[in-house]
Amino acid sequence: METEIVSILFGSFLILLLIGAPITVALGVSSLISFLYLGDNPIKFVQIAFTSVGSFPLMALPAFILAGALMEAAGISKRLINVAESLAGPFTGGISAATVMACLFFGAISGSGPATTAAVGMLMIPAMIDRGYERGYASAITASSGGLGIIIPPSIPMVIFGIAALGMAPPPEAVEKFGTFSSVSISKLFIAGFVPAFLIATSLLIMNYLLSKKRGYKGVAEGWSAKNIGCEMYRGFWSLMAPLVILGGIYSGFFTPTEAAIVAIFYTLVVGAFIYRELTWASLFQSLEATTWLTGRVLLILFTATVFGRLLVENQIPAIIAESMLSFTENLYVIWALIIFFLLFVGMFMETLATILILVPVMLPVAYSVGIDPIHFGVVMVCTLGIGFQTPPLGENLFIASGISNISIEQISIRALPFAAVNTIAIFVIAFFPELSLWLPRVFGY
Amino acid sequence: MFWKFLDNIESVICRVLLSGFVILLFVQIVSREAFGYSFSWIEELSVYMFVWFVYFGASYAAKMSAHNRVTFQFKFLPDHYIKYIEAFADLFWIFFNVCFLYLSYDFVFNKMNKFWKSQTLGIEMKYIYMVLPIAFALMTIRILQVNYRKLIKGENIADPDQIDLDEIKAATDAAKS
Amino acid sequence: KNFKIAVGDGAGGTQEALGKAFIAELEKNTDHTASLFLNGQLGSEQDTVNEAAIGTLDFSILAINNVTPFSPTVGTLTLPYMILSLEDAETLTQGPIGQELVENTLRDSGVRIIGWAYSGFRVLTNSKHPVKSVADLSDLVIRTPKNAIMIATYQSWGVNPTPMAWSETFAGLQTKVVDAQDNPYITNYAMKFDEVQSYITNLRYLFSIEPLIVSEAVFSGMSADDQAAVLAAGQAATTFSAQYLRDQESTIKATLQERGMEIVDPENNEEEFISLATEAVWPQFYESVGGIEKVNAALAAIGRDPVK
Ligand code: NA
Ligand code: NA
Repeated sequence: METEIVSILFGSFLILLLIGAPITVALGVSSLISFLYLGDNPIKFVQIAFTSVGSFPLMALPAFILAGALMEAAGISKRLINVAESLAGPFTGGISAATVMACLFFGAISGSGPATTAAVGMLMIPAMIDRGYERGYASAITASSGGLGIIIPPSIPMVIFGIAALGMAPPPEAVEKFGTFSSVSISKLFIAGFVPAFLIATSLLIMNYLLSKKRGYKGVAEGWSAKNIGCEMYRGFWSLMAPLVILGGIYSGFFTPTEAAIVAIFYTLVVGAFIYRELTWASLFQSLEATTWLTGRVLLILFTATVFGRLLVENQIPAIIAESMLSFTENLYVIWALIIFFLLFVGMFMETLATILILVPVMLPVAYSVGIDPIHFGVVMVCTLGIGFQTPPLGENLFIASGISNISIEQISIRALPFAAVNTIAIFVIAFFPELSLWLPRVFGY
Repeated sequence: MFWKFLDNIESVICRVLLSGFVILLFVQIVSREAFGYSFSWIEELSVYMFVWFVYFGASYAAKMSAHNRVTFQFKFLPDHYIKYIEAFADLFWIFFNVCFLYLSYDFVFNKMNKFWKSQTLGIEMKYIYMVLPIAFALMTIRILQVNYRKLIKGENIADPDQIDLDEIKAATDAAKS
Repeated sequence: KNFKIAVGDGAGGTQEALGKAFIAELEKNTDHTASLFLNGQLGSEQDTVNEAAIGTLDFSILAINNVTPFSPTVGTLTLPYMILSLEDAETLTQGPIGQELVENTLRDSGVRIIGWAYSGFRVLTNSKHPVKSVADLSDLVIRTPKNAIMIATYQSWGVNPTPMAWSETFAGLQTKVVDAQDNPYITNYAMKFDEVQSYITNLRYLFSIEPLIVSEAVFSGMSADDQAAVLAAGQAATTFSAQYLRDQESTIKATLQERGMEIVDPENNEEEFISLATEAVWPQFYESVGGIEKVNAALAAIGRDPVK
């Protein structure tokens, strides 16, 4: 019975994906077919449609998308990046290192990888080309560090992971074996991503230094200019405050993530309308509109992915997958490697948020049953899928970088390979040393 | 004018709902932090507005042809084949929506408990769930509309993810000159 | 057949205990068995009522306030201070009043209540200071679920509670976004609220009852023998649940005190709390629970004076 339903569910899902049906349709139709096959009444879909989406923490998603779009329109992002650019020093690969820093800064206000690449790339790719960097290299480092946008909080993929994982309690057998697991919350995920983001940024900086040395990219001739840095920091004061408002609010426990995003929206409106005076009605409308279709398309997937997940749970399939995986190996490191390579592979083809929604119900029980902490698992999952932004055939960051630099995606992705490699090494380090992710949340008392 | 409004109906509804719940939540935060007072109905109302926003937004995304598909397998096919394959795949979407439309209509009008009201607002849940049949009907129309435009009118509907890119190009060019 | 039982709470609570006791009895007397799906894996508690009503779910164990929206007369049991002891709760649910509510629920919503889990009073916990009087509440930010009766009760004490999702509550208490919350001892203990709260007040305004419901569509499809066995198993599980509560609550109280929590009783036998809540809240709900007569009938059943 179980194997039949698994082949029907996954089989029709894959066929529909291959003939180009939208992901949400592939999930919904394969679930519908399976319901009919099992003789269950699909009227369940209706309540799932409503309750899967109707949750308060989920409102963080449109709120962060809107906050990000408004910060762009208000000129906050631009000033943040200018500050990072002023930090480009006299050392080898200075300006490209500043690009990585800019992605880190920008990542602290944006929850999206492609948005980070677009905002940073728009200013930094031309700047790098001006200083004699090869176009392909300039695009590759931007596309690669754009993934930092979803690792450093706030992070839309982490919101989605939190939502998907919230309702999933560890199986009793796992609790018996490993003791109680810590609970999942979006705030906690946000804090957990902080150290790993710096680790990945460091790995990118090291690779950048090595490659720049080989390619002979010198630092800026005039060296560091304290005056310039001070000037940009002064001009960017209100922009630099934005990440403090968001992260400070969440970390101090003053706001829930949803509320932090709401506060960020109003902060941006005030700064954009009265201080920078760059926010227009037209751009405000445009931000609302972009938030609408982006949210609509992701959360329609949430609905169908929840139905899909419900089918799996009712037929106890995640438990079966976990069992067969454990009968293959019980070595935690081997299981981590399998998880990471599988996610890298899926991340090459699939949109990130959809991937999280589909895979969490299947993979989190496996993680629980080998004693992996759910927060740690979430961080590794999001970091790994972040690499997917820079790999073809579907690499959102690549598309954007290629659009800015007018270089083919193939050329950029070859240049991006070394960065993907060090990034992967960093992910293995993050996976093998849980404390990197779990230490900071504990310090904050979570 | 009227048709233009109608053609943009989801966008209008969604902008109102989105601004609405963002403002409501802000009022709640300010009131709680500044006056220590919480409105008991705000959370519920904003969540319901959010659900409506999501499903009209999904219909809007369908109108823009924005729902993500896996397309790398079509890489070596000419464009005019792809649109027919995708139209075929969309038949399954329409099938799903029609089924769901029937189910949600049946649930809301026949199967739903008649006493069921929302906890703090006291609104009958029937009215709140009404968004499902309405939005899925609208979405079905949008799928047909998009395919009509692509197949019969021969229009090229740009991927909205792509629009961002063109804007960026324009902006970078402007920055350079 | 292997029935599906949806359970709102996680492992280790009253709901799971009731479910396990029910399954054990069911297996003893029939060829059937059942599986528990904990933590709302089969949907929110309110969703499961609809699903059982339609017949797409067999059983569900859920908090009574999630049954009320579908069959308002059940609300009699959730009026503040209607129940003042576990014995009151047993008398009301298992006596003629309970039978009437079972019939009403069946008529209104197509689900049949076949057993009751008792979780005990929702005691107030907070991180600031001992609470003995209504006045002690004034400087506390109190979290409640978005439940009309609970909100109205706190308002009658001059407090505006903050509705907060259950999933955010622990973090909310920890980071002091909210100072206080109420839940039965078993829940407070299972959720480790003692790590973030220091004081407990033995309020009795709400006694948590968690009915076990069966889909009437599923029930009426069973043979007469199976129906009798299911009802008997529900009855046995109910009896088990009352004893379980007695055993658990005393152990948990002792453990929480060992861990440094201070447990106090409200002053003057809770009179101030009781009079404010009953006077302000009850009249608001007479109509929905079927009239003041129903309330008086319930009061008479537990030997209390009627209200006017
Ligand atoms: Na971010
Ligand atoms: Na990719």
